Amino acid sequence: MSRFVSSALAIAAILTPACAIAQTAPAPTAQQRVAAYRERVERLEDQVEIENLTAMYGYYFDKGLWSEASSLFARTGRFEYGLRGIYITPARIERAMLLFGPEGLAPGILNNHMMLQSVVIVADDGLTATGRWQGMVMLGAPGTNGIWGVGIYENTYVNEGGVWKISSLHFYPAGFTDYDKGWMQSQIPMEGPSALFPPDLPPSEVYRALPGVYTPQFSYPHPVTGARMDNIPQPPDDVVGRP
Amino acid sequence: MRHLLCLCAALLSAPAAAQTVDDDLAALDARITRLEDLNQIERVQRAYGYFVDKGQWTLLADLFTEDATLEIGGKGLFVGRHRVLEYMQTAFGPDGPDYGVIANHMQFQTIPDVSPDGETGWLRGRAFVMSIGGWGLPLYENEFEKGEDGKWRISRLSGPFTMYTNWQGWGVNALNNTWPDKFEPAPDYPPTTVYLTYPAYWVIPFHYPNPVTGEVLTPGSQPAGAYYRPPGTAEQTAVEAMGHLADGSQPIAGPGGE
Repeated sequence: MSRFVSSALAIAAILTPACAIAQTAPAPTAQQRVAAYRERVERLEDQVEIENLTAMYGYYFDKGLWSEASSLFARTGRFEYGLRGIYITPARIERAMLLFGPEGLAPGILNNHMMLQSVVIVADDGLTATGRWQGMVMLGAPGTNGIWGVGIYENTYVNEGGVWKISSLHFYPAGFTDYDKGWMQSQIPMEGPSALFPPDLPPSEVYRALPGVYTPQFSYPHPVTGARMDNIPQPPDDVVGRP
Repeated sequence: MRHLLCLCAALLSAPAAAQTVDDDLAALDARITRLEDLNQIERVQRAYGYFVDKGQWTLLADLFTEDATLEIGGKGLFVGRHRVLEYMQTAFGPDGPDYGVIANHMQFQTIPDVSPDGETGWLRGRAFVMSIGGWGLPLYENEFEKGEDGKWRISRLSGPFTMYTNWQGWGVNALNNTWPDKFEPAPDYPPTTVYLTYPAYWVIPFHYPNPVTGEVLTPGSQPAGAYYRPPGTAEQTAVEAMGHLADGSQPIAGPGGE
């Protein structure tokens, strides 16, 4: 919201010399006010579009509708799930998603990735955006016990020709656990890069799921202080080499 | 919102009196500001949840006003931002997540509202707790203030519990509500309301009226089970003006909207 205020102030400042209507407070013209309000409304609309886009991605991904899910990515879009590495372009993302199950899934497979708690911030120019989401996961496969999972999405978005698309989707699992055992007795590690269909790039961040504790850095500044939050200290890890 | 844009276009072309245009634009500004405010209140609540997940207590405390109150479960009432920080760091340890521990407080189902003057906000929401200890269901009826700097902050966090259980589930092992001396630190005041969690049942009052009938639903009031000072004294009366939830006298009840 402070963005809106500051952009409105900036517009007012630019217009000051042209507004000689009042000696005390130079007021923007009706057209200038409308233009500023249009900007603010467009940013709110952008946020709605992005929230819907991400939720739609989630519903496709749940059901193994990989062609639909991958089509929501930008031309150079990136898909990164845990430690699996980065797949780039919709075509390669679609194929990589087959690692989660066949197109359309199959009986006995549950692939729910619920998405909630969005904090979407649209850039002032309305061309890019970031989004943090909470991801609750329920997995199932024939002959296995159910699995609970949870993690964080930190995504980026781009407006390509008036349409919002996902420019990068990064899911950071916090952990997975056996449905019956729970976190104290079962901590299932993340899968690494696939040998069957290797990623275009290695994982951008290497860390351990629970019992490890890793904080995906925040794409947005603190809502009150405005301080950057992309520098949260991480726990040390001898194998990863993090002091 | 598309209606707003149409209104803008109409205003540009209509040869209305300048005063009318100014009034219309001011009204439009107020409506856009309200949407931005609702949006920001939700962001603050969600940011709170992400900080709880990872034990970022200093960042969390910065979301509160200087004189904010905080009451979670049956622990009692804490007054002031510094006490919010002390509560978190004493009860849950220094900033940062603990190895081997998960304490997710996933935030959703938010209902934000803003007062007509745009200076006070409310939010009903809930957290779904998925933690090393099991499952939990806190509910929130929080109040927010817009500072002179234009920032929204939490001025009152009221987080009563609906149900807590270990991994066995609530059918087998429903946990008691917390209480003031269950863990350090001690609260500044007793709980504003004494209630029991599942399998007992308590309706947390709503900050808003029924959106269709407009009627205010007042759940059954009940006497508080703890007193800071003897009933009827000035000190006790003053305490009853802070952070109350259970009956018609609590300051929470002013509905938002127009």
